[in-house]
Amino acid sequence: MTWQDDRFEHYLREFQPLKPRGFPWQTRRLPEWLRRLAAAAVVTVVLGTSLWFATHPSERGKTEIVTNGALVPEQKATGASLSLLPLTQLAVSDPVRLDAQLAAASRRVLPDFRGERSTLRVLAKE
Amino acid sequence: MSYKRKALATGDPLEPKKLTGEDVRLLYDRHGPALLAYACSFVADTGIAEDIVHQVFVKLLQGETAMPEVPVAYLYRAVRNTALNARRNGFRDAPLDHATSWLVHRGGNREAALALQAALIELPEEQREVVVMRIWSGMTLEEIASAAGVSLNTIASRYRYALEKLRERLKPYEKG
Repeated sequence: MTWQDDRFEHYLREFQPLKPRGFPWQTRRLPEWLRRLAAAAVVTVVLGTSLWFATHPSERGKTEIVTNGALVPEQKATGASLSLLPLTQLAVSDPVRLDAQLAAASRRVLPDFRGERSTLRVLAKE
Repeated sequence: MSYKRKALATGDPLEPKKLTGEDVRLLYDRHGPALLAYACSFVADTGIAEDIVHQVFVKLLQGETAMPEVPVAYLYRAVRNTALNARRNGFRDAPLDHATSWLVHRGGNREAALALQAALIELPEEQREVVVMRIWSGMTLEEIASAAGVSLNTIASRYRYALEKLRERLKPYEKG
């Protein structure tokens, strides 16, 4: 290397290459163990949530049988509700008790055709 | 400076260890601009050249390539091969656009910058590589020889020939 080379090198260094745009470091893949851990966490959360909803049915999860008070004046319990999950469990464990419970519920919820002011009597007058 | 950090900055061989994200980031910060200039000497568009450089670093980061013994040498080889592939595949069929600036003169002499770009493009690849490594990657001739896997004399000759050609082309600008 001569002094002329050094001088020319110095001159060349006056030229600077453009800086490349920022490298997308966020595209780095997570380590395998971390990805597995994240997947396990997601599965746990989903299962936990499902289990919680299964064991703690919300009001929205219940089937409501609501009758119209104007048409059925003898209704005894407005807004009485029957929960599907307990009934299903009962159907599996004790079908006889389920029948009894459904019969009781029907007397409470459905229109009474036997009373003084039964639906049939109201219809007959019309 | 630690052994590993020095090896990443220069062309020294690294012991066969896996590069961490931080190592790759250091390489990118240190050699990114020089590699971009190198890629620009193969393809017409600086955007394409940036994509090529990014592609090489992404592969390095994702561990898709065998661990290079000399990371800097690997980077130059990979950028060169990727750029040549891109050109071969018709990624850019257009001739090199000499009006696109990928070198900027500190004093704002754009004509000189374009003349230097053109002169670099005309250099044989191995001479061009030595110039870019020496001038913009800041490597010594010994480090370049180690990275390229050739003798110091060969590298020194390539460099000397390259400087002669560049000096000739830039003579009108150097004095001004």
